[in-house]
Amino acid sequence: MAIIEVEGLTKTFGSHVAVDRLNFEVEEGEVFGLLGPNGAGKTTTVRMLACLISASGGSAKVGGHKIGENPLEVRQTVGILTESPSLYERLTAYENMDFFAEAYNLLDPQEKAVRIRELLEFFDLWERRNDKVAGFSKGMKQKLAIARALVHKPPVLFLDEPTAGLDPEAAKEVRDLMEMLSRREKHTILLCTHHLEDAEKLCDRVMMISRGKSVVVGTPDELRERIAGSPTVQITLKKLNSEIIEAVKKVNQVEQVNADESASTLTVTLDDAQSGTPEVVRKIVEANGLVLGVNILRPSLEEAYLKLIKEEQK
Amino acid sequence: MRIEKAMLVFKKDWREIRRNWQVILPIVVVPLMISVFLPVVLTVIPSLAATPGTSVSGFEALMQNLPSHVQEQLAGMTEMQVMIYVMALYFFAPFFLIIPLMASSVIASDSFAGEKERKTIEALLATPISDGELFLGKTLVSFIPSMAVTIISFVIYSIVFDLLAFSIFNGALLLPTLDWLLLIFALAPTVALASIGLTVMVSAKVKGFREAQQISAVLLIPVLALVFGQVTGAIIFGPIVISALIGIFAVIDFAIFRIGVKMFKREEILSKLA
Repeated sequence: MAIIEVEGLTKTFGSHVAVDRLNFEVEEGEVFGLLGPNGAGKTTTVRMLACLISASGGSAKVGGHKIGENPLEVRQTVGILTESPSLYERLTAYENMDFFAEAYNLLDPQEKAVRIRELLEFFDLWERRNDKVAGFSKGMKQKLAIARALVHKPPVLFLDEPTAGLDPEAAKEVRDLMEMLSRREKHTILLCTHHLEDAEKLCDRVMMISRGKSVVVGTPDELRERIAGSPTVQITLKKLNSEIIEAVKKVNQVEQVNADESASTLTVTLDDAQSGTPEVVRKIVEANGLVLGVNILRPSLEEAYLKLIKEEQK
Repeated sequence: MRIEKAMLVFKKDWREIRRNWQVILPIVVVPLMISVFLPVVLTVIPSLAATPGTSVSGFEALMQNLPSHVQEQLAGMTEMQVMIYVMALYFFAPFFLIIPLMASSVIASDSFAGEKERKTIEALLATPISDGELFLGKTLVSFIPSMAVTIISFVIYSIVFDLLAFSIFNGALLLPTLDWLLLIFALAPTVALASIGLTVMVSAKVKGFREAQQISAVLLIPVLALVFGQVTGAIIFGPIVISALIGIFAVIDFAIFRIGVKMFKREEILSKLA
């Protein structure tokens, strides 16, 4: 069942179209990525869905609430991590959590205290709960901001660039925690990112957007194959000769063969790498080739993304 | 409108403010200047030292416009008693309208503009707190402390003048009077609310704190006009004038709150993020 339904969502600022007729649905419990370069319209989309800004056209429902009609209900349904952590630096970590818990109507003192403790412990911030946020590192602030977004157990979570501006170590920690969290608490997550690692590691499906338009939607694997092409198979041999190359070319599923005789490797493009690879290896063996290794090389999401952005720019 | 949500915003902001001496200092210093320093320098020291400062010639215009029953009272007093009486009850009265304005100006200017500058506004706007509750919360965080310091200043001011008057007026106390109680507990709050409401509106519209404070400084002009009006004798803060001003400002307060909430646009606030 779709918990986020977006139909023709559009946002214009004067003559500039920031979001152009977006259509997508996010299923309950799904981690859905909005992937695109800076200025693609990701943050504007999230702001419209969180009822922070109005849509110029189209419609959307979040948790069954229409965004234009029930802004308070929509805001209660979502937890949001904004582009900057948006934390009160003169308040302690606990005070920040406490304020947002009450703002999101988590009013029972015991329930509130348990939830805050649970999240601060999960994000390894419990020992620092009474410290002012001003003294926190960027990574700690980001973790606290994510904890804050989760405080009222929202069915839908919007995460806008959760690893932006973090050093690789902190980014990995935040990413790992989010992965654990999405498995543990089963939130529906809409993740905006231009970091492919985030999308690849966390998302069930990804929508690539460019200049406000949806370019392609699918699982990370589908996008890799659809945009960057099929996987290729790299075969390393003890010795490569023309007889072996000709034998491989004769396999039905083979589309292209690139031979590097100096490195004794063959790079073979197949219709279907999964089913075609055993046949290729058999032909090499029949041609008296000695196979040292076989690697299926999948195009990365990064390659797909860069190819897409290049095409869009053209 | 859920008052508890407005109070939640108030409590959060007040927690932050009380840890910031740059904000607390003007809230404390300005009232002290008006309630203690000025009366002591202009009245208490000259009267105790019996210096030329005890002359009433400086506010003849004010005295001429006092109600006739007050003038009759003054006729039977010594020059020093007249000076202290006029100073305590009339000259400094409108200054107490400035205290809540000055005390609230920094907090009210910071209300939304400061959150924009510190990039905390987006998470606040994303909460299910309504526009009216946010606007009221931000107004209360300026209003409650500024009225608290105004009342404390009034108490100190009364003690300073009553201590002085006790010996000079043979054991009689000058303050509080009904006019002063009306001024402090009814007029000052309504004037403060109007000024704070407008400043909070400005703060939501502009990009930063300084811009908000510069624009809100203009709001002091009408109150300064009341101060000069009283000093020059053009307006006398008697019960009728005070009651009329309370009525006028109550209507203005209501209108400002309604307009402020109507003009509160989350989208516009986000578009002004630095």
